[in-house]
Amino acid sequence: MRGISKRFGATRALDGVSLELAPAEVHALVGENGAGKSTLIKVMTGIHAPDEGTVEIDGEPVTLRNAADAQARGIAAIYQEPLIFPDLSVAENVFIGHRDQGRVVRWRRMNEEARAILARLDVHLDPRMPASGLPVASQQAVEIAKAISLDVRVLIMDEPTAALSAHEVDRLFRQVRRLRDEGVAVLFISHRLDEVFEIADRISVFRDGRHVATHARDGVTRSRLIAEMVGREQADFYARTEHHAADVVLAVTDLGRTGRFSGVSFEVRKGEVLGLAGLVGAGRTDVALALFGIAPAEAGTIELGGRPVHITSPRQAMDLGLAYLSEDRRHVGLSLVQSVTSNITLPVLRRYTSRLGLVDRGAERQAAEEFRGRLGIRTTGLNQPVGLLSGGNQQKTMLAKWLNTEPTVLILDEPTRGIDVGAKADVHHLVDDLARAGVAIVLISSDLPEVLAMSDRVLVMREGEQTGLFERAEASQERVMTAAVGET
Amino acid sequence: MPEWTRERTWELLLAVILVGTVVYNASRSPVYLDVDNFVNLFRLSIEKVIVAVIMTFVIVNGEIDLSVASVMAFSACVLGAAYEAGVPFPLAIVLALVASAAAGFLQGQVIARTGISSLVVTLAGLIGFRGAARILLEDRSVGAFPEWFTDLGREDLLGPLPFALVLFLVFVVVAGVVLHRTAFGRGVFVIGDNADVARYSGIAVARTKVVLFTTSALVAGVAGVLFAARLGSVRANIAEGFELDIITMVLLGGVSIFGGSGTMLGVALAIGIVLNLRNGLGLANVEANTQTGVIGALLIVSVLVQNLLDRLPLRRREAEA
Amino acid sequence: MSTPAAPLWIRPERIKELSLVGVIAVALVIFGFLVDDYYSGQFFNRITTSVVITAVLAVAQTMVVVTRNIDLSVGSIVGVSAYLTGQYAAAHPDASPVLAVGLALGIGALLGAVNGLLVAYGRVPAIIVTLGTLAIYRSWLVSHAEARTITADSLPSWVVDLPTRTVVSVGSLDVRAVFFVVVVIVALLAAGMQRLRWGRRLYAIGSNPEAAAQAGLPTRRLVFGAFVACGALSGLAGFLFLARFGTITVVAGQGLELDSVAAAVVGGVSVLGGSGTLVGALLGAVLIDVLDQSLVRVPQVSEFWRNAILGALILAAVIADVAIGRRFRRRWSAEARPHTKVTEDEPADPAPALEASDA
Repeated sequence: MRGISKRFGATRALDGVSLELAPAEVHALVGENGAGKSTLIKVMTGIHAPDEGTVEIDGEPVTLRNAADAQARGIAAIYQEPLIFPDLSVAENVFIGHRDQGRVVRWRRMNEEARAILARLDVHLDPRMPASGLPVASQQAVEIAKAISLDVRVLIMDEPTAALSAHEVDRLFRQVRRLRDEGVAVLFISHRLDEVFEIADRISVFRDGRHVATHARDGVTRSRLIAEMVGREQADFYARTEHHAADVVLAVTDLGRTGRFSGVSFEVRKGEVLGLAGLVGAGRTDVALALFGIAPAEAGTIELGGRPVHITSPRQAMDLGLAYLSEDRRHVGLSLVQSVTSNITLPVLRRYTSRLGLVDRGAERQAAEEFRGRLGIRTTGLNQPVGLLSGGNQQKTMLAKWLNTEPTVLILDEPTRGIDVGAKADVHHLVDDLARAGVAIVLISSDLPEVLAMSDRVLVMREGEQTGLFERAEASQERVMTAAVGET
Repeated sequence: MPEWTRERTWELLLAVILVGTVVYNASRSPVYLDVDNFVNLFRLSIEKVIVAVIMTFVIVNGEIDLSVASVMAFSACVLGAAYEAGVPFPLAIVLALVASAAAGFLQGQVIARTGISSLVVTLAGLIGFRGAARILLEDRSVGAFPEWFTDLGREDLLGPLPFALVLFLVFVVVAGVVLHRTAFGRGVFVIGDNADVARYSGIAVARTKVVLFTTSALVAGVAGVLFAARLGSVRANIAEGFELDIITMVLLGGVSIFGGSGTMLGVALAIGIVLNLRNGLGLANVEANTQTGVIGALLIVSVLVQNLLDRLPLRRREAEA
Repeated sequence: MSTPAAPLWIRPERIKELSLVGVIAVALVIFGFLVDDYYSGQFFNRITTSVVITAVLAVAQTMVVVTRNIDLSVGSIVGVSAYLTGQYAAAHPDASPVLAVGLALGIGALLGAVNGLLVAYGRVPAIIVTLGTLAIYRSWLVSHAEARTITADSLPSWVVDLPTRTVVSVGSLDVRAVFFVVVVIVALLAAGMQRLRWGRRLYAIGSNPEAAAQAGLPTRRLVFGAFVACGALSGLAGFLFLARFGTITVVAGQGLELDSVAAAVVGGVSVLGGSGTLVGALLGAVLIDVLDQSLVRVPQVSEFWRNAILGALILAAVIADVAIGRRFRRRWSAEARPHTKVTEDEPADPAPALEASDA
């Protein structure tokens, strides 16, 4: 029997996880952000070595030294953003690295074979075309074709449908079924439960780094799955006191940006928390980027304090009282080599400069100290490069940075992603405090319980459109999930 | 070892090497420790040295400016050509500086607005501005500058210190303060580390880059004028190859070629090392060309060593995060 | 996904090459008006003689540039190779020409290997390494030469006569042997880059280094090889330099690295790596040489305009490349490709929507 079984425990990321894949099956893996799915992929593709436990292929334990090694053994992964060579042709992308046909490239044969493989996937491309010109769906197909040419045995697909239209998803599923029928084990990771139920033979659930359960597709209901994905005590984890919402401070009408989102309308009041729920790729961050001036809106209006504004740069947004805490702290949120202090004061550095233009380091440090105490940032020194801090403390630093701008509207994008439980609780308390102090908060989160617990109202988006706006009382997990994933 | 201490360590290392170089040179030549000798060291290399100071900003910002030597020549030739055409000398100087600033502004705009790498743009500048210099003066040489001008280069201003050296000292201190203690300088570092973070934090990235490249060319222009003062004449082919020494001074000073880190103190120490090295080699009758080879090797080694040092803390960084 | 609209498929590289030919043709026409007796056999001969060195260097540079690196030391390699080969030939007048050429190639390959080692294995950026070796190699040459110059009369006659040897003559147009050989070499290498595995892999490395590593390509070995090849070709250029000029001083070849990069860039080779052809680089060298040789003959324009025009040309070529590239990209794709360079008006790609948890 071909298949992979894994047993390992890596504290924090994966805790004693075992998973078995059988040949000729589509095995779906579901779980929230931070459940450990991406770590598992990294272990399976040889990027990370497990601290404990083994990977077995065909019953034999193997050690995967690196990505190439995993590939050689027939394990391939396809990610949401395809890893392709933009300047090379489609055919070359399919074959490079493994079947370059000896020394001399036989173009015609390569093109024909590429065309054939792609045709089997119901994709009709000119294999001579440079890969850069392709839409994401086709690039993905190229990657699948590559995996096929590799004689893949285990194909991991990480959120493959996030960037696809409904029609392209159908085609992808046909391709996946084809692969399965040829004996490949497909590990299909997705947030979208309706798709999972459509394509999977078995479904496994991860939560907080543990394997919770594995079901046959017909042996489980959607609500059971949701419960398993989400099930945790909701005790003191979420902080929620009475919020007194005052005037409307931010009003958005029919906001849109081509190709990203459209028709978004909502209001946020002072002291109110508006949750923005939806699946990864639904367009919520795009809305935030439009509000913050990084990818300005092309349609619709934004009104701040009753006055219409046209926001075209972050500096302008900040001057208007907006602040945006990005979802990717390592790449756009924090400057990793700069100190904690320096990161905290960065957007408003002029506040700390004297008349001569010199930065008052004492004042800086004082501000940083205040935030360290207030947010509980743990670091050996405020001068430490922020890259050395743990995820939770980095997140708190980023929060401090934006709180320091004294915003009237604070947009938080996945503020508790990838941080430990204690830090998450701290963040929740903080959000509550801020709301009580009168800040208007937009909370973007893929963590459903979090959104439901923390928000006064919940706006749901799906594929760039607004699909629901619920008051706290009427927002339930079912309703929100349904609006987020669409009809079954 | 956090980045902060790494920079201090590098500075310490440089200080040791600097002292070592001076001691070694002094042991081989009795006049070495004379104040005059040191003053001379700077005077002869003042052009490279002030450009190295501004180049620090450019490299910390994550860019590079290969055109500085050509802009130097361009500025000197504008000066010479204007003077030759009868323009009053002070005005000619102003023209030269304005032309250099314009050159830098042009490059900066292209780099900031089109996203084309500064390597390519300033390489085109290196070729193009050298060409502009040649158009102005062809293969002539222009000299006979007013006496007050050429004396500027030679006579002493403050005690034993000539004008050039005073200029350098003031410049390096001001530059150090701007880089390390102003909001602008902080912005330069952050952009060099990660331009996206800078943008998301409200820093005007494009404007900063344009300012840096304009200033870089302006300083190169000043250097060109100083060169004219020192030499007493100008040609189109002056300052050829200067960019090597300049970039070496900056990278040896601990500034990372990838941007985001470095100190002015380190660069100042590295300047000292490079100048003393050349001087010492010269006194040992090593030819200028061989000296250049040594500088080249120094450049490569300094980045190699930085690479090795980078690998150590990185391992620790990943474990903690 | 439907097939692309164009039924006739032309690779984008071909389009660039063809447009270069077009530009050259236009230039020739314009100069035909500005210069009397422009179209002469003599002119053709002069161009074919002078272009070979830059052409070889442009090709050498391209091999490195497609991997997203650069080699600024080629000028110094030319100098060292020309000088040492000249010394050898002068000392051994009866030695076989093959040996002399082999020596030039070997010297170049060795110097290129040093570059390759430092870049590929030492992980020092190419701009730094080759800026340093530019100085190191040149300074070594100066100290080795001790101010002696190689003079043409010390060289065996086969070397000195080489540039004028003709393969075939068509009227007053001579197809020089050297020119012919260089074209053949370029053609072979170009075929290699298009058809051999190592050639395609070089493009892959420049196109997306992370993907290349992920795909299991031996990136370090390939980059090392590219630098060795570049060095060897520069060595060959050194030999051609020797043959053409005969008199080799210690500053021989100085500045040629700039010409090689200019020719490559004008020829459509992207500094970001991954695209551009050897043929394009060759055409770039031809275009620059045509401009060089023609400007000299236009009475209103002095030779001193050369560098300025070259600089402007590079800038124009790069900007055009970027502008055209963007327009094509928009037409071809619905989604922007990842990892495009971010500019002020384009938003930074927000974090990939993977659940990129740190867990």
